[in-house]
Amino acid sequence: MSLWRAPERPVRWFMRTSPAVEPAAVGAHRSLALQALLKGLHPEERPAVLDLGPPLSGNIKFLSALNCRVRVADIHGSLVAEPVEKRRPDAMPALLETLLPLAPDERFDAVLAWDVFDYLRKDQVTALMMRLVPRFRRSAQMLVLVSMRRQLPAVPVRYRIVDGENLDCEKPPAHGASEPMRPCPHYKQSDLGHMMPGLSVRRCYLLRSGIQEYLMAPD
Amino acid sequence: MWNKRDEELGRPMPPQQPGAAPLPPVQPPPVASDRYDAAAIGSSIKIVGDVTGDEDLTILGKIEGKIVLPKHSVTIGQSGRVKADIQAKFVSVAGEVHGNLVAAEQIVIRKTATMLGNLTAPRVGLEDGCRFRGSVEMEAPAEKGRPAPAQSASASSGVSGSSGGTSVASSSPAAVSAPKHEPLARP
Repeated sequence: MSLWRAPERPVRWFMRTSPAVEPAAVGAHRSLALQALLKGLHPEERPAVLDLGPPLSGNIKFLSALNCRVRVADIHGSLVAEPVEKRRPDAMPALLETLLPLAPDERFDAVLAWDVFDYLRKDQVTALMMRLVPRFRRSAQMLVLVSMRRQLPAVPVRYRIVDGENLDCEKPPAHGASEPMRPCPHYKQSDLGHMMPGLSVRRCYLLRSGIQEYLMAPD
Repeated sequence: MWNKRDEELGRPMPPQQPGAAPLPPVQPPPVASDRYDAAAIGSSIKIVGDVTGDEDLTILGKIEGKIVLPKHSVTIGQSGRVKADIQAKFVSVAGEVHGNLVAAEQIVIRKTATMLGNLTAPRVGLEDGCRFRGSVEMEAPAEKGRPAPAQSASASSGVSGSSGGTSVASSSPAAVSAPKHEPLARP
C-alpha cells in the first residue's frame, strides 16, 4: 500500500467571485475615437467632461485621474423616469432645462454619448444638442456610439473605460439570456448631421461588433 | 453557583444576602448617557433648518436646510430624504439627496440612492445602479481656494468610525489618483 497522498487542491481555484453581482461582460473593443478624444484633453486646464450616460464609478475615477471635472447627466435614465406628457416634442426644451441645468459660464471640453442616442427619438436628440452645442468649447469633441445591428437591448448597455484606448461593454446585472430587445433606429452619419446642427463628424470607425464610433466637433 | 449561570443568561438575580460581596455597579442604559457615538434622526422626524454638531449623524428622516459636520460622518439611510448641502468628513448616501456634498475624505453613493447635486471629495464611490445627476470633483475641498499639500496626507487616513468602510471606492487613494496606464501625452 502506498503511503503517497495527493496534496489537497486549493479550493479557491474553483471559487467564482460573486457571479450574481458582477455584470456580464459583453466584450472590450479598441476605441480609436476614445484615444483621439482623450488626446484632445489638456489635464493642466482641468477639462470639463459631460457624460450623457449613467454614472459609472470606474469612468469617473479614470477621468478624474486625468484631472477632469466630470458631470454625469444620465439622460436616458432621467427621461424614462419622467411622465409621458413631459416627454412630448414640444415639451422637451423645458424638460431638459430641468434635467440638465447649466450654469451661465459652464462649458465642456468633451462629451461622452455612449449608447445614448440609440435610445432617444430624433427630436429628443435635436433638443438635447441644441441645448449643449453652444456650451462646447471650440476644441471640444463628442464621442458618439450608435449601433448598426438590427436590434438593441431594451436597456442601454454600459461602456467602461479600460484604459486610454479600450472600452469594455457591459450589460447591467439584471439582463438574462432572454433579455428584451427593441428595434435599432440605425442612425447614419447624415442623420447625425441633421439632428445635431453645429456639429460635424471628424472621424468615423465601424467596429466588427456592429457599433459605429463617431468623433464629432463644432463646425 | 447557579447565580453565575443566570448572570450569563441575563436573568435577574435574587437579592443579595447581607454581608455578601457587593455587586458591580450597574451600567446605565445607553439612553441615559449624555454622550453618543452617533446621533440619529428617525424616519418620522422632519427638520427644517441648519444642522451642525460634533458627532456622527445618521439620517433616516427628512432634512431641509444645511448640514455641517466637518469632522464627522453623515450617513443617509434608505428612508432618508435630504434637501440640503452637506459638508462632512465622510458622507454615505443610500436614500435621496438634493444638494451638493463636500467631504474631506470620502463620498459613497449606494445603489439604492438618488443623488442630484455635485460631489467634491478626494475619493468618490458610485455603486452600479445608483441614480446620480451632477458633477464629480475628486479633489480635497481645501485645494480649491489655496494649495494644501497636507490635505491629501490627512485624507489617506482611515474613514471615521461608525459609518464603516466601503468596498465601493478604492481604499487606496493612490488607486484613485493615479490610473494604471501612463498619462496621455500632450498632442
